[in-house]
Amino acid sequence: MPNPKDFAILFDASRCIGCKACQVACKQWNDLEAENTKNYGSYANPPKLTAHTWISMRFYEGLRPNGDPYFDFIRVACMHCTNAPCVGACPVGAMAHREGGVVTVDERTCIGCRACVQACPYGAVHFDEAHGVVQKCTMCYDRIAHGDRPACVKACPTDALTFGSYGEIRAMAEERVRVLKERGHARANVYGLGELGGTHVLYVLTDHPSQYDLPKAVREAEKRAAAGWLSTGIAAAVLGAGLKFLVERREALKGGGQ
Amino acid sequence: MITLNLPNPIGEEAWGLWIALYFFLAGTTGGAYLLSVLFYEQEMVRRSALWAFLGVVLGSALLVLDLGQPLRFLNLFLGGLHPGSVMWLGSWFLVLSGVGLLWVYLRPTAKGFQQGVAVLVALVVGYTAVLLMQMAKPFWNASPLLPWLFLASAATAGGALLQLWHPDERVSRLVGVAALVEGGVLLLHLIWTYPAAAGAILALLAGPLAWVFWGFVVVGWGLPFFLEKRNATLAALFTLVGAFLLRYFVVMAGQV
Repeated sequence: MPNPKDFAILFDASRCIGCKACQVACKQWNDLEAENTKNYGSYANPPKLTAHTWISMRFYEGLRPNGDPYFDFIRVACMHCTNAPCVGACPVGAMAHREGGVVTVDERTCIGCRACVQACPYGAVHFDEAHGVVQKCTMCYDRIAHGDRPACVKACPTDALTFGSYGEIRAMAEERVRVLKERGHARANVYGLGELGGTHVLYVLTDHPSQYDLPKAVREAEKRAAAGWLSTGIAAAVLGAGLKFLVERREALKGGGQ
Repeated sequence: MITLNLPNPIGEEAWGLWIALYFFLAGTTGGAYLLSVLFYEQEMVRRSALWAFLGVVLGSALLVLDLGQPLRFLNLFLGGLHPGSVMWLGSWFLVLSGVGLLWVYLRPTAKGFQQGVAVLVALVVGYTAVLLMQMAKPFWNASPLLPWLFLASAATAGGALLQLWHPDERVSRLVGVAALVEGGVLLLHLIWTYPAAAGAILALLAGPLAWVFWGFVVVGWGLPFFLEKRNATLAALFTLVGAFLLRYFVVMAGQV
């Protein structure tokens, strides 16, 4: 669980209008180049995160079973997990937690193996081919370490994004869910409290996380690796002993028959 | 800053051809060493140790060249302890098994030492599967069977490699059994991961990876059974092709 004094961001999906000001602010502050994209039938653009796009909005529209239309937006960016799979997978310690629980990559140490790219359940880490290292959201560490807010938060015109200490942000999220439930959003919930040891970016959602393609009940990477080592041990023992037994018993049988 | 990138036919950031080729080299030559330790005497163990040493060295070279910053590969060994990272552990398994294999080849060694090196080699073969299981890709992590698949395939391909220069009835039988296990494990893995990784499995069965998957099933797995009695060399060669195709489609399907 994150320390109550850690840095944290709240994204409130019930306040977001999908204007993408956060995307533009991120590009500007972090000096990330624009990308050439094609319309593929969604307002989401760029369609996915890359080494040059650290935050992007996804759009969901349709009709609910009762006929009401919905048009939902979700923020896609690094969640700054407490139990971050990218940090666990990094073989050189380049991907690590900074003070305040923020996950950043040290570009001078990164060897460009892309283990973190594969390990992230949010698709938030990407390989920068030009520099041979990976890139991701830094929660604007160069701003927040000097008392300012992240660029995306500062640019948000509807207070859908808020920056603060984890303790404040969490209390704010839970209060907001209470209010939303009172107003008839029975499925309102906070996302990020249980996922990956608690994420430093919390989401207030008006529907189940799966409605926004957010992973739920992710089995933690180190547990999967532990299961893998165990499985390797059993497999090596069973296959080794089994094959030896099989071959030698056949030989013994043949020898006995002669 | 010096950036040296091999062209990656898959493009972008994916783990592609070079990684699959490394898995194949380490798995096949490592498998041959493991089988030699289990079934053969000194001379054969020494020769397969040389093969496995070359496989490990060549495979490691591919891994380093596939890095975004190849010249920083020493960070793996000088960058502190990261036992939670399967890749970090794997790097050490590669170095230690490489040294051990070279020693087995160069010096007369006791059976116990050769078996100790065999444990390291088994870890090299096995860690590649655990590495994939650590990642957030359902085709790799939704079942615990990937280590079984890679080890069974190492036995099949390693046996086929031994068959090529030292045909032996025992090994031929063993390759057949290991291939049956491999096929069974693969089928079970596909069924087990289907609920979580339907996209990957459809890509394998009827999508962009179908040629690799069915190429493995028909040429790399089925055909050797048919050819075994008629032309053992050809059967072994097809088995080796199959071992590569298997690793290639496992690596690619996870990233669909």
